[in-house]
Amino acid sequence: MNKHIATFSVIAILAISLISCNINEPGQQYINEDQVKKIVGNGLLLNLNDLKRAPYMTEKGNYCDPALYRLRASGKGHTKDVSYLDTIWLFSIDTIPTGRPLYIRGRITTDDFSGNFYKTLCIQQMVGGRQQALRISVDAGSVGGLYQIGQELLIRIDGLAIGRYANQPQLCVASYNNNIYANKAEEKVGWVPGRIPFSEFNKRVTLIGKPQTPHCDTIEIFDFINHLNQVENRFDDGRLVCIKNVYYTGQYSKYGDPANCTTNDPDDFENGSSANVFAPSTGNMNFPQSRIITDEEGYMTLVSASEYAKFSHFYLPGANENGIAGCQDYVGNVTGILGYYRDNNITKLYNNVDSNAPAWADWSITIRSLDDLQLFDEDGNLWERREYRRK
Amino acid sequence: MKRFPFLLALILFYCNSIVAQEIAIEATRLSGRVIAEDGTLISGATVTLANQNLSTTTNPKGEFQLSYLEAGDEELIIDAAGYTGTIEIILIQKDQTNQLGDIRLQPDIALEAKDEVLLNLAESELNDDEGKTQDQASSASSSTDVFNNLIAYAWSTPRYRNRGYTQNYETNYIEGISFNSAERGQFNFSAMGGLNDASRYKETTQAIEANNFSFGGLGNATNYLMSATNYAQGWKVSAAGTNRNYKAAVRATYSSGLLSNGWAFTGQLAFRFSPYTEKKGEIGEGINYYSFGYFFTAEKQWGKRHKLNLITFGAPTMRGQSAAVTQEVYDLTNRYNKNTWGYNSYNPYWGYQDGKMRNSRIVKSYDPTIIAGYTFNINEFHKLHLGLGFHYSLYSNSALNFYNAPDPRPDYYRNLPSFLRDGQIDENGNFITKDMRGQNLGSGFYDPSGNYLGGSIDKTTYMNLYDAWSSRDDATTQINWDNIYAANRANNVNNPDGAARYILERRHNDIYEGMFSANYQYTKIDHLKMTAGLELKESVGHHYKTVDDLLDANQWIDIDPFAERDIADLAENASLSQAEIAIVKQNDVANPNKVIKKNDRFGYDYTIQMTTFKAWYQNEWNWHDVDLYYAAQVTYSDMLRESKMMNGRAVYLCLIQPEMEQYYLGPKGLDQSGNLKGYRHRFIDPAFKVGLTYKINGRNHLKFNAIAMTQAPLARNAYISPRIHDRAVENIYTHDRAKNLKDYYAASEKIVGGDLTYEFNYPIVRGRVTGFYTRFWGGTELNAFYDDEARTFVNQAMTGLNRQHCGVEAALSVKLGTYFTLTGATSIGDYRYTSDAAVITSAENGMALGSNKNGAVYEIMDSVMMKGVRVSNGPQLNASLKLSFFHPKMWFADVTLSYFDWNYLSVAPSRRLKSLYTDTNYDNFGNAINVNGSYKDANALTGDYDKNGKPILKYPYSELDQQESLADANPWNRFLLDVSVGKLIYLPNRQSLSINLSCSNLLNNVHFKTGGYQQARLPRSTKQGVQDDVNSVINTNVWKFPAKYYYAWGANFYLTITYKF
Repeated sequence: MNKHIATFSVIAILAISLISCNINEPGQQYINEDQVKKIVGNGLLLNLNDLKRAPYMTEKGNYCDPALYRLRASGKGHTKDVSYLDTIWLFSIDTIPTGRPLYIRGRITTDDFSGNFYKTLCIQQMVGGRQQALRISVDAGSVGGLYQIGQELLIRIDGLAIGRYANQPQLCVASYNNNIYANKAEEKVGWVPGRIPFSEFNKRVTLIGKPQTPHCDTIEIFDFINHLNQVENRFDDGRLVCIKNVYYTGQYSKYGDPANCTTNDPDDFENGSSANVFAPSTGNMNFPQSRIITDEEGYMTLVSASEYAKFSHFYLPGANENGIAGCQDYVGNVTGILGYYRDNNITKLYNNVDSNAPAWADWSITIRSLDDLQLFDEDGNLWERREYRRK
Repeated sequence: MKRFPFLLALILFYCNSIVAQEIAIEATRLSGRVIAEDGTLISGATVTLANQNLSTTTNPKGEFQLSYLEAGDEELIIDAAGYTGTIEIILIQKDQTNQLGDIRLQPDIALEAKDEVLLNLAESELNDDEGKTQDQASSASSSTDVFNNLIAYAWSTPRYRNRGYTQNYETNYIEGISFNSAERGQFNFSAMGGLNDASRYKETTQAIEANNFSFGGLGNATNYLMSATNYAQGWKVSAAGTNRNYKAAVRATYSSGLLSNGWAFTGQLAFRFSPYTEKKGEIGEGINYYSFGYFFTAEKQWGKRHKLNLITFGAPTMRGQSAAVTQEVYDLTNRYNKNTWGYNSYNPYWGYQDGKMRNSRIVKSYDPTIIAGYTFNINEFHKLHLGLGFHYSLYSNSALNFYNAPDPRPDYYRNLPSFLRDGQIDENGNFITKDMRGQNLGSGFYDPSGNYLGGSIDKTTYMNLYDAWSSRDDATTQINWDNIYAANRANNVNNPDGAARYILERRHNDIYEGMFSANYQYTKIDHLKMTAGLELKESVGHHYKTVDDLLDANQWIDIDPFAERDIADLAENASLSQAEIAIVKQNDVANPNKVIKKNDRFGYDYTIQMTTFKAWYQNEWNWHDVDLYYAAQVTYSDMLRESKMMNGRAVYLCLIQPEMEQYYLGPKGLDQSGNLKGYRHRFIDPAFKVGLTYKINGRNHLKFNAIAMTQAPLARNAYISPRIHDRAVENIYTHDRAKNLKDYYAASEKIVGGDLTYEFNYPIVRGRVTGFYTRFWGGTELNAFYDDEARTFVNQAMTGLNRQHCGVEAALSVKLGTYFTLTGATSIGDYRYTSDAAVITSAENGMALGSNKNGAVYEIMDSVMMKGVRVSNGPQLNASLKLSFFHPKMWFADVTLSYFDWNYLSVAPSRRLKSLYTDTNYDNFGNAINVNGSYKDANALTGDYDKNGKPILKYPYSELDQQESLADANPWNRFLLDVSVGKLIYLPNRQSLSINLSCSNLLNNVHFKTGGYQQARLPRSTKQGVQDDVNSVINTNVWKFPAKYYYAWGANFYLTITYKF
């Protein structure tokens, strides 16, 4: 009998010892500067603004800047002559050639927790004492949950594309837009900046160091709406900035002209676009909604939000169901991503002539959440968040 | 009406009492002993006289005796689990005891390998995010029945189901105690994982036929016999190697035999294991496997009339899982494996973490079980068996959960090359060649697989994805654990008190069962065996989630991410502010924003308590030319859901629909202990069956069986959204207000069925042909999926499902000389739905799914056009040919070639909603709702109807609602070849060594689909610039959410070496 017990015991001990094997412990995978150099190797590490400017070959055409376009007119795949450029397009897309590995790096400045940066990352890079920035379009909901604010990324970009949507540069892939369900479909049809497939993006990204609070420049509204510097300023699109001593005027931009917000129902997309909330419904047309802020000098700019943001139907600071009378009582800082957005297809960028809209309306600050609005009344009380509620 | 079952029992008993009680005087007898070649005594062997249709089983000493026989030539059929059956021709002398001496059986050394096939398939049950699982193969056992003997193993790979019935129609007992789960309806084979010897001895009856241990049911009934004296005395040690989910197994079994003090003991230990299978494409890719099994049974006999059994077993198991995949993923990943023979097993559930493989879906199961059985042979005519069992099924499965972060699944549809087709398909299903302005898009290109891509597809982007998938790039095709950890670490810096971005959660479904059974047999009346039984089962199914691994995050916060994401819409629907409905996102209202650490419970925590009581009675008459049985059963069952968490979505629904509060929170709402107790739903289900055998002569029999019964819905199908609230399928509520008996089976499924068999048995040729027909009315099914229209998870409860299953089974076995036997079997069936079904749809996060003049609608009433749809439950056309070889020097071999066809994809009810064709569905009060984005809106209707009344859609939309055949287009890919070869070596002192090698799918048919399902999601696009309620349209990329398939393993083997001493 003892023999039997011993046999069972050996088998049991063997079994238990094997079954109790542990699962692997997580590993470290951030890289440091030395490793960045190693990865880049013989490749080229580009500054973000260089990438925005660079005349890489294009197969898709429709780039907006005629000077650059002429440079590349003999490039592979072009079917249009230069005269075609007189019709400036809403979109452009230029593929970044493969061959030599190309990289960019930058620290993430956005998240989508409040639903205001849908499938978009903004990165920022300090170059020569000035922040450069770039938008990256990635096909993943809540992409900021994986690539979090403050994390620096090294991204291999050859084989991707640089595109512009309403002159707003972004790292992307080429995608053909034939969206028959779109509004104003005609002008949007063609090769457009498409979102980088998530798995493709993952493959190209390496994390540099641990997250750190991203740098935020304090600037004046005048700094970016200045007509004289507009072409150069456009490269500031995507920067994280803070504007001090501003307040909401209770107005929105009606085709470039300030107009007072109303108490209309923001869910009524036909009549509610003037509602005194951050972003009334557009009927799923998906264009951002903007409300005007102004500084002590009287310069105006827009604060932008998506109709899908969680705070889209919150009243503007100081506004309520009765109107906008209290808006100007709340003064303070607005932090967000600076954006240059020019969606007018007859704009003549190459000579900076704008036939339709004042330059200030091309600029906006996109807030990441309502925490980006540090506005106080004269007693020092932070503005109170109030939601629109349908009667 | 309430008295009906009792009256019936009285009548049946009365009938028996008036029969002449003629007891035969001393007559012709037959006795003998059944032993193995090595002298091992075989207990539990079935000994049957073919011509007289009499049978008995051997005692622990292998002895048997049959009395009151007719003299003359007879065929004695002996069958024993673990041995190859035999038929002996004997001459029975009149008025004496005919001593046959020892009858020797050859061990079936291939059995262990074959059992492993069934077990592996049972354990490779697949779970995915639509909650789909694939039924395992039927539990037909090796028996003297030619059909079952062949199909039990040969048809397990394609997951053949007897007559197309799901597992809950089969009944499984252990020592007379029912082990079908009250909640899931099925037997958990993996509870005995690896304990092959423990589960070897069983009695199985085909379909409706009568048995001694239960009323049975529609499908096969099996009773596992685990008394210690069933097992051969001595040691048995085996080792096995395989290339399946696990790679190696060791087992040891010891049985004492019946000792002089009346005790007998048997024990088995088993261990099966595999480290991670690292080679890509290999069977079991990304799966690790550790399972330890134990089994002990003790038996005490005292006097000649008393027997006590004590049994315990369990098999704590930890194993990785794999997933069903789309054809695209299968094709792409197999390009990587194209030069590697036998590899087709891409598994998206694993990824590398710090360079080491890790599977995200790890099942942990353990079913500790204790059974006590007492048999009292009161006298020659009365026998009583009592059983008591306790069973605790601990089952959990891990999965990644995420919060405000991207979906981590590598095969998520947006990560695949095919997603680039979205928006590029025209109304004819082709790539667009001109854009909407008329601009020519130029020519497209072909990918290396030969797929054409249109001119509007960016080749660079497409080929980047294509190459990544076809080269099995780890960052693309597998979970990126390092990224997940990095996201959580970053979140710890940015948001130290916030919820983790990713966690590994563990979903528990534990079931506690206590069971009692009583079985009484009475044989005093000549030609009659009366059997009666009682069964009682108390079950508690416990469902909850815990955190398995925080993946380096600080904590998880117990809120529902979807409710939080949609809170603006939820507020708008209710005309309230987000602040006023903030509770909606809480999973546990009593503990808002609860901080969850490792092993803490969160999400949901509820039980379903179930009681089942059965009483049944059966008479079996055996006459010279005719056998007759009839039986009746009545079942009382109830179910009650109790939640330990008050869910915020339930509160929200009560807030906006106060009239529905009792349905969401139960009749009493929250009790003092903070629990929510729902309605107790009660069912009373009668069942009747009858069977007749006409013995044309000793070798030719005609059998007829029929059954009529009702069967209560399974608890898992009864609740519409059990994680959130108590709302059940509508007609179940009737029971709480029931006024008459029929209300108690109103929600039950009604079943009527029958079969007719011709059976023949000659020394050279044996076989049978059976025709069967079964109708089901009023079935219930539950589906859950992500709905693009509502942008959230929805639950769909279907009721009123009607089906018919009819077909023919046939088998023939021919002895070819001394060494060979040729056996053929076929089953040809037609299993389909015969009517449309009612369906109720609601969103898991409380989102309104429509609106009409009365405002937002939260429960949508609709019907599903199921009529004519084939039941998806294994192939309906099966055929096999098996050539067996046996050499007296103990060489064994067999080759089985099988053909399978008529296997169908499981359709998604969401794609066949009537409202998609008509544009209208309804709220609870019958008020019409205009459907947003229907087939009608998409102008997809042809105006024609099919023979079942379903509107026919134009191509390509027709791809959305068609049921696809799973049979491969190439007929050769519908064949499977299995081979087994073995050798038994007898050693001195009753020792033996056996070696067996079984190879399944030897032709390496890697294209064989064993099952699959349509994804429930419909491809939709949003129309811009229109009102919300008409902003959706079904788009032309109908392949956006393609079907997912399960594939058979490529060539696989199982090698066993067994040593007995």
